[in-house]
Amino acid sequence: MTDRNPMKDQVAIVGLGSTGFSREGGASSLSMALAAATEAITDAGLTAADIDGIVATNEPGASGPEAIAAGLGITEATHHTKPTPVAVFSLLDAARAVFTGAADHVLVVTPVVMGPWNSRRAAADPWRRGARSGILPVPEDATMAAAYAAWASRYIHEFGATKDPFARVAINSRTNAAANPLAAVDTPLSFGAYEAARMIREPLNIYDMDLPVDGADAFVLTSAERARSLPHTPVLIHAATSGIVGKNDEDQLDGLHRTGQHVVVDQLRRTSDIWIDDIDLFYPYEGFTIITLTWFENCGFCPPGEAERFLREHWNDDAQRIEIHGRIPVNTHGGSLSEGATRGTGHLREAVHQLRGTAGARQVDGARAALVTPGGFFFNPQGAVLRTAT
Amino acid sequence: MNGNSEETDEETDDVLIARFAGNGITRDSADHFRGRLDRRLLMARCADCGRWQHPPRPMCPACWSWNMTMDEVSGRGTIHLLMVLHQGPPATGVDYSTGHPVVTVELEEQRALRFTSTVSDDFPAEDLAIGTAVEVEWIERDGTPMPVFRKAAS
Ligand SMILES: [Zn+2]
Repeated sequence: MTDRNPMKDQVAIVGLGSTGFSREGGASSLSMALAAATEAITDAGLTAADIDGIVATNEPGASGPEAIAAGLGITEATHHTKPTPVAVFSLLDAARAVFTGAADHVLVVTPVVMGPWNSRRAAADPWRRGARSGILPVPEDATMAAAYAAWASRYIHEFGATKDPFARVAINSRTNAAANPLAAVDTPLSFGAYEAARMIREPLNIYDMDLPVDGADAFVLTSAERARSLPHTPVLIHAATSGIVGKNDEDQLDGLHRTGQHVVVDQLRRTSDIWIDDIDLFYPYEGFTIITLTWFENCGFCPPGEAERFLREHWNDDAQRIEIHGRIPVNTHGGSLSEGATRGTGHLREAVHQLRGTAGARQVDGARAALVTPGGFFFNPQGAVLRTAT
Repeated sequence: MNGNSEETDEETDDVLIARFAGNGITRDSADHFRGRLDRRLLMARCADCGRWQHPPRPMCPACWSWNMTMDEVSGRGTIHLLMVLHQGPPATGVDYSTGHPVVTVELEEQRALRFTSTVSDDFPAEDLAIGTAVEVEWIERDGTPMPVFRKAAS
């Protein structure tokens, strides 16, 4: 494992765009990608002629970098890739392109598209029906999304946990979503409603998991030096990484004591000068609430199994949300439980908005450093430390 | 035993794939599924170092031997992960309105060697919990043998 981080603070996020997220359907994936992309490029004070790198997340049903380049009227590009979904993979790919000189201004597009496999509305849409595979999976499966319910049961068993910390993660997101116009769901959630909720994959209920949505985020990255002459306060990528353990088949994982989350945290701690005592904002992924509990524990906010106590102690009962030490809010945009299954791109976008002071009604005064940890336990844990340029 | 076992030798790849498509059958796991047709729970094992490997892989990750074989496991173990599905893909005999248990069983052969399935119809509700000792039992779904777990005889 390396402790080298020559890219530290050398690459900046300078443009943001987002379509917002919805369950309505009706737009093509290319139209959503282009809407987010044009907004991000404009936000960065650039034009299509400046963009020489395109990173488009390889999301099922979404447009690739070549279609987006053609659609935007990009002249020529020297970096064009489609990393696997979940936000930091694409962020890292773009940052490395800027840092190594592969391109000067890299556009990242991170679309999510409801498919016939996860949405009845999409299954009824003649323009999306074609993506159906025709093979029904067997129910007796503890891989992919189901694995989080399976390991949630193990967490509860090993630590004697109740559903209380799971509820707090869900309620925190919905509380914060009220001030986020991009959210697909922005109504508040009560402990009573959480407890009464329909179980989907017991022990997880409908509020413990995010929902499929349509939408796209876009980001523009360039060098920290170039960023100084662009309109917004640059937000620097201080440290970022992904991480897995070798034995990562979901139901064969050795245990919750060593997952990719630990690999990510160890790597960030080796390469970042900023850690949890120094941050102003925390964005742990909560597409499944169990993931958030272990991010709190594995990042070192509390020991393993103690997220229940920690979240109770750091709960603002008046505001109905988590505030670490009364100071650090968590998922200020309402997370994936409110925006939908955006695979952490919302967590990243919101961190940038906060750090450059464009978060509107959600703005945390004086926020200068954020820890963003998208991904789950198995094949996509990742993290990034972002900071405001000084 | 039922008639399925006699068909095994004639089971072409196409038929095998069609039968187990929903289980995500691959070239590397085909022999595991052929074993199911004979009601034998086969798992991949390295013939050189003896390590079990599930899901099946063509090479042993412990010693890089390509000498992977399929061996029958005892089918005995303990429930390690547990969920109860209240919705999911339609399947014969599965009633989500009463909750469909899915258990991941840690087998006695090796630490963290696990197999995921459901439990027998007569599984005692009070024992459906992580830590319960179980053993494999064979049922049929759509005419194909399927390994599930019953409470272990004590
Ligand atoms: Zn071996």
